[in-house]
Formats: sequence, C-alpha cells, structure tokens
Amino acid sequence: MKRLMLALSLTLSAAALTPAPVLAGATDTDEERAARWSEIKASIFGDRKVEASESAVKIDAPVRALDAALVPIGLTLADKDSVKGLYFIIDDNPSPYAAHFTFGPAADPGEIKMRVRVNNYTNVHAVVETKDGRLLESAKFVKASGGCSAPMGMSDEEAMKGMGEMRMKFVGDVQPGKPAEATLMVRHPNFSGMQMNQITRDYTPARYIQKLDVTYGDKLVFSLDGDISIASNPVINFAFKPEGQGPIKVVASDNQDGRWQHAFPVPAASN
Amino acid sequence: MQVIARHAAFAALGLMLGAAGPADSPVNVPEPEGLYTGPQKGYTPATLKGATVIDLKGLETLLPEAPALIDVVLADRRPEGLPADRPWLPTHRSLPGAVWMPGAGVAPLAPEKEAVFLKRVAELTGGDKAKPVVTFCRPECWGSWNAGKRLIAAGYSRVHWFPPGVEGWQDDHDTAVAKPDPAWMRADNERAPQR
Repeated sequence: MKRLMLALSLTLSAAALTPAPVLAGATDTDEERAARWSEIKASIFGDRKVEASESAVKIDAPVRALDAALVPIGLTLADKDSVKGLYFIIDDNPSPYAAHFTFGPAADPGEIKMRVRVNNYTNVHAVVETKDGRLLESAKFVKASGGCSAPMGMSDEEAMKGMGEMRMKFVGDVQPGKPAEATLMVRHPNFSGMQMNQITRDYTPARYIQKLDVTYGDKLVFSLDGDISIASNPVINFAFKPEGQGPIKVVASDNQDGRWQHAFPVPAASN
Repeated sequence: MQVIARHAAFAALGLMLGAAGPADSPVNVPEPEGLYTGPQKGYTPATLKGATVIDLKGLETLLPEAPALIDVVLADRRPEGLPADRPWLPTHRSLPGAVWMPGAGVAPLAPEKEAVFLKRVAELTGGDKAKPVVTFCRPECWGSWNAGKRLIAAGYSRVHWFPPGVEGWQDDHDTAVAKPDPAWMRADNERAPQR
C-alpha cells in the first residue's frame, strides 16, 4: 500500500511537472525530505512558485563534512546579471533559514562562499531570486551532524574576545572593468543558542550576526540577513565591481544590539 | 581534525578543573554506581552492567527479532535570544520504527515520568521482560546509558545499548522523521529538565 501510494504520488508529481531533483531512487525518506522542504519553502516564500533549476545556482559542499560546525559552502550563480538575491537553507536545522543575500549595484554576484553549521544529515537548498521575480532552487545532500550544538572549545568570554573586529582580504590587484574578489572575516562567536557551556551546563543564549551591509562608495555590494546557522567567526567570499569610489564599508549588527563598522581601502587599480 | 582538537581541549579542561567525573577522558570511563547525573553529552563507559553493548552490526543482527527501539535524544529547544520572528522548525530523524521519548535518559527524572517511561516500554514489549530492547541517542550521550540502566533495574533481561546512536545508523541506513511519543509528551507538560 505504501509503495502504491509512493508510486502514485510520484506519478502525480511527474504529471504536475514538478521536478524534484533530490528524489533520485525515491524512498519514504526522500518523500519525507521533500515534505520538509515544502514546509520550509512555504514558511519563507509563501505561495510563490519556486522552480527547480540545478543550473541557476550550483552548490559546492562536501558530501561528508570534516567539522559539522564549519561546513564550507560555495554557491555559483550562472546568470549573475539577472540575480537580485540568494537564499541558503539547511533543511533539517531547527532554524533552517540560514542566510539571505540581497545584491546591490556594486555586486558581482557570480560566487558566494561561507561556512555554516549543519545539525544533521540533510538536504541544503540554494534559491536564487531574479530581478524579474523568479525563484530558482537547487539542492544538495550533506552528511554532517551536531554542528549547531557543538561547543567552541573555550569559555564564552574567550569566544567573545575582540567581537566585531573585521578583516578584509582582496584577491590580487583590483583591475578596472574586471570584477574583484574579496574575503570578509568577522570576529564573532555567532552563538547558536544550542551550545551548552560545558562547565555551567547552561545554554549560551543565541548571539549572532543578524545583518551585514557591505557598501562600496555609495553603492551596495550586498546585504546579508544572517542566522544561527552561520558558523562562528563568519567568513564570506564575494565579488564586487571595481568602479566605486572610496573604501569598502562594512556594518555588522547582531541580535543583542552589538553594532560594528569598519572601512577597508580597496587596493589601487594597476594598469 | 578540529573535532579532535575540541575534544582534546575539553579533556584538558576537565583535568585542569580536577573534575574526577567520568566525563574527562574518552578512555577508561568507569561505570557509575547508579544513574549518571552529569550532563547528557560526554564520554561514556564502554560497558553497561546487565546489558549487551552493540555496534551497528550487532543491531543489524538483532533487528529480525523486532526489538523495541527506544530513542532518548533530547529535543532541540528554541534558543534563548532567538528573535520571535525567526522560524523555529525543529525536526528529528531516527531509526525507522523507533519510539522517541526525548530526555527519558535524564537523571534525576520525576518519578511520574519514570513511570511513564517504564509503562511505554512495557507496552512496546507486550509486557514480556525477556523481549529485546535497544536504547540509543547520539554518540557520547549518557541518556541512552541511563535509559538502559533504568530498564535493567526494572527487570528487563535483554537490554541492548547502542552507543553510536542515530549517527551510527544513518551512515548505512535510511532514517525516518520521528515525532515525540505522544504518551510520553502528555505526561511531560513542561516537566522534564532538558539537561
């Protein structure tokens, strides 16, 4: 009966032309994972249509992560000129909505890299929002567990030392007319609220970077809405258009009224 | 690698604090006399007196006997400090067919909760204390050790403790979404301590 239902639902979904990329060799598990994704999708996008498009955004993630609290994620966007925003969702994390990037006119949104926490073996989804309002999703399965509750291996005070300090690394010389790559590093424990202090046995309250605005001159590069699923000491790789004036400015704020601002001079363009 | 470093850091921390508790080393963790009342997460003994400790292979061998599978993984709690408008959608995946009683390995446990735990296991084994039972949670988790200990004390003769837990299972097998056992949760009503 179960098999029949499964076959039936697969037929139905095929009939409705709903491509389900992670349903290869469908099992009850896949069905449950698809149901989970539907639930999350509805909570984030309401009744907006999300189209499967493996080519719109490619997810690079280790199949098996070495450290579930520091899982490197690379997102490559195919048609970067049409991109308005990018969502990253870790389905089985209790707070699945990990990150939302909104790109501005100074962005070159071809690739974003970051590090996240993964609570259990799960699908992760990237959803691109295009300027004309389409939502395009792709998925990948990641094997990692315990990342949300993994303690940092130091006291909370130590973890918060230098909170809000930032560094930015530019990759090579910034050439006029060519997109430039940069890595932003923010010192912040990004406490998930699920980590137990091993000595007091209390849970450290959630304290995480909620908003990160990166601007170049008077133009926005990107604005990030973050969550407890972003790994401690956030590191974000991005690219920008080198046409701006002045430094790159970063403003970060967390959910406990922490606010930090730094400016980084862009290395002079060489001819 | 980082995970190892982290463990090493905690081991060192335990030594520094002179914590003679069983949780300060991955090796030679002695069995406590009774239930373990420390934090659920920590190094556990290699043994559980009166029970059979099984690995994945042992569990696979036992499964044809349809043992009662008792999952005691703690439920994820909404973190303090998480803004109210953030969606909080915890989910739990377990061994297919397992009965999830979140926190049933916590000690101390309210007597009425302990009674519900034993009643549920009795139902799952059809009142036959010679039926096989498997307790598990996640690796390095005292909850499943305590749950096994409780069942041994209650007279179950074929208690199996599966220390690798959900993580040890999901490498080779499918998991299924598990909802907290309704009877266990009814008795709960905000009672169970979550640590």
